[in-house]
Amino acid sequence: MKNTYLVLLCAIVFSACKNDTSNQSQTENETGEIAKEVTVYTHRHYPSDQELFAKFEKETGIKVNVVNAKADELIQKMTQEGEQSPADVLITVDAGRLVRAKDKNLLQSIDSELLNKRVPSNLRDEDNQWFALTKRARVIAYALDRVTPVQLSTYENLAADTWKSKILVRSSGNIYNQSLMASIIAHNGEEVAKTWAEKVVLNMTRLPKGNDRDQIKAVVAGEGDLAIVNTYYIGKLLNSSDAAEVKAGEGIGIFFPNQEGRGTHINISGAGVAKYAPNKENAIKFIEFLASKESQEVFAKANYEYPVNAEVEPSELLQSWGTFKEDQLSLSELGRNNKKAVILFDEAGWK
Amino acid sequence: MKYRFLTYIKRDFNIWSILTLAIIGFISVPIFTVLLQLFEGPGETWTHIVENLLADYTLNSVILILGCSFLTLIFGVSSAWIVSRYNFVFRKQIEWLLIVPLAIPSYITAYTYAGFFDYGGTFQYVTKSIGFGALRFDIMTLSGLIFILSISTYPYVYLSSRAVFLYQSARLIEASKVLGASERKTFFKIVLPIARPAIVGGLILVIMEVLNDYGAAQYYGVNTFTTGIFRAWFSLEEPSTAIYLSAILLIVVFICIGLERLQRGSKNFAFSLKNGGDLHRLTISNKKRFILYLIVGFPIVFGFILPCLQLVYWSYLTFYSVASKDFFITALQSLGIAFLAALLTTLLALLSLYFPNWNRLSVLKKSSRVAVLGYAMPGAIIAIGVMIPLLSVDKWLISVFKIHLNLDIGFVINGTILLLLYAYSIRFLAVAFNPIEAGQLKLNKSLTEVSQLLGKGKLKSFLNVELPLLKFSITGAFILVFVDIMKELPLTLILKPYNLNTLAVKAYEYASDELIMEAALPSLCIIATGIIPVILLNRLILK
Repeated sequence: MKNTYLVLLCAIVFSACKNDTSNQSQTENETGEIAKEVTVYTHRHYPSDQELFAKFEKETGIKVNVVNAKADELIQKMTQEGEQSPADVLITVDAGRLVRAKDKNLLQSIDSELLNKRVPSNLRDEDNQWFALTKRARVIAYALDRVTPVQLSTYENLAADTWKSKILVRSSGNIYNQSLMASIIAHNGEEVAKTWAEKVVLNMTRLPKGNDRDQIKAVVAGEGDLAIVNTYYIGKLLNSSDAAEVKAGEGIGIFFPNQEGRGTHINISGAGVAKYAPNKENAIKFIEFLASKESQEVFAKANYEYPVNAEVEPSELLQSWGTFKEDQLSLSELGRNNKKAVILFDEAGWK
Repeated sequence: MKYRFLTYIKRDFNIWSILTLAIIGFISVPIFTVLLQLFEGPGETWTHIVENLLADYTLNSVILILGCSFLTLIFGVSSAWIVSRYNFVFRKQIEWLLIVPLAIPSYITAYTYAGFFDYGGTFQYVTKSIGFGALRFDIMTLSGLIFILSISTYPYVYLSSRAVFLYQSARLIEASKVLGASERKTFFKIVLPIARPAIVGGLILVIMEVLNDYGAAQYYGVNTFTTGIFRAWFSLEEPSTAIYLSAILLIVVFICIGLERLQRGSKNFAFSLKNGGDLHRLTISNKKRFILYLIVGFPIVFGFILPCLQLVYWSYLTFYSVASKDFFITALQSLGIAFLAALLTTLLALLSLYFPNWNRLSVLKKSSRVAVLGYAMPGAIIAIGVMIPLLSVDKWLISVFKIHLNLDIGFVINGTILLLLYAYSIRFLAVAFNPIEAGQLKLNKSLTEVSQLLGKGKLKSFLNVELPLLKFSITGAFILVFVDIMKELPLTLILKPYNLNTLAVKAYEYASDELIMEAALPSLCIIATGIIPVILLNRLILK
């Protein structure tokens, strides 16, 4: 009996030693045929995406493997997996996370004429490491019966005393608030941004809670007059299967702030090719496909997002809200200022 | 002294000691991976967190724990006492209905209540139709959160206290009554003190669930330790700070567990080997019965029926956009994974309970305590703890195969179900371990001793004598783990393999996209698959 353990132990030790000598030469890649697949790590989980993935499979014969999770967790996962990561494409629902992935050296530069043509330059990375696929604007939703658009002007104006106990907004843990704050830091500097946050906190009608839809409903219910929300969620609300939600969506007006100045803050959903992508060619093809006219039309129609491809019009609903001037700030700035934004939120007491 | 220590080791070391060490290693690798990160120190925002946030986190968490403990004790103990002591119509049904809130993930209950009291929600509709106008009630507050978490976790207290009421106190209650004590005095002087260890055991589970909650607290805008961990990790981009925060949380939990051990002390509860006989149930007057129905009805209505009705309504609204073939496959996958993982976890719990017992080294006797550690850690942290060591194993395997066989095998463990199963079993080991341990403590030790005296080995004695006696505890443990895994979210999100989905993940995807109504159908499926095992569990306890 004792001998058996001894043999087992030896085997373990032996194989462990073997490993030490063999670690160096694991970098070279096997030169086999190109696998007909692409692995996508994505934070998006919409039916429209699934429809597009299926279409891509049908058109190219390349199988799409999908891993769904929050962008933060996907980035964490890619970091841990390192060179062996099976990820080919990373898709997130905000620019900040893409910048973070780039900073962590998880993405690679892509030279694609198609992408350069399809995605405007302010909506892609300076080094072409990531590309926007769709846009969302962060707007002010106002109570139609209590506020006239004339009273509204800028994000900065939300700090004015006139809005005391009138503003509804979700928690600062939310990435869209963080991005908005990051853009304010980029434009006005930290000091101004912090004072702005402090004043907005004073103007809130209640402690931040719930999601964007909840803020809109609270406006319609009369809890406050203004809510800072994403256009995307207004679209969702208006097309809800619950009549009460549709009514809530109809009870608010949409105002695009800062039209006289820098333009309304936008955020994006975007994709990049993973640094160690086993199927790089397929990955590029995949992103090109998502930025194509046909795919962009699906995004625009099904998901109430603004397309990035200039050839494609937004959906009718989005068009009915009118066109607006976008903040041209490089989206990389949002990522760069994200952490600072969170710290300033904490200091200002924005929960 | 040193020499003597060595002789002890030499004398007492046996095969079970090796296996004990192996199993301890298996359990504690992820935990210590995380704890080791502590030595790397917190990130640079640590001072920022201490200055601006820590007080708030601590205060909220403490209030949350105190509030939930208070409410779960009231809901759990009172209903357990009523169903054990009194006889009334529908008692059998009420007994299992009191457990079913366990099948609803607390974040789903939170979303449901928010929707119920929302603008245009059911509550407004009802008050409007009665003629009070569209009333609004704000549930999304700290006290609202306490209520939500209590109403969805009280069954832990209910289950543990009912088991004692049913089996341990019958004779003593009779004696107390014969000696002229009133019903009330009997309860407070006899029943409650006997049940205390079990009640506290259930309460510890409640506290851990409450500390672990992320979804509900985040949605309700209450900043707790756990939301703080996520904020430090993801918003402030500092995993090391997040781990520091969770270490503090761990210490709090250890103190809780330590206190429980302390209060349990060396009391011997083995006398309760079902020798108490069945408690004679009292029949009561109509007036009193009404009050009893109210007391047991409250948690059932608010913990189960109301959320379910709301979910059914939402499912009805969104059925066609959610139900599909894929959805059906997802449901089957969830069941399969939960079943497999629960089986594995129960087995691991048995091993980690018995190996240390069978080994003779006294140093290792208490080592099975590490089993409970996993439950104290947030799922997301465990996921990282599991990933880091197994990635190195995987990378090692890849290089070995590359060198010796020139094969490119890719990840063997990562991104597969193995990793997920491992993480589940670490996370929920305590859930399986506690009931089995409790069952084992109640066993009469002499049975095993007799078997061993008659020449059977430890393993054989276990298989032939203890295992059959522990059958119910083990099945109960299995069911609890199964239900927990059906609901599990953060860990599954990070570790689940490609092209595999669970109902909880599906519900979360909808909810995180603010499609809370669409999340109703997957939630209902989670609840439905949870209820059946819960009813089984109830039968087991009554046997």
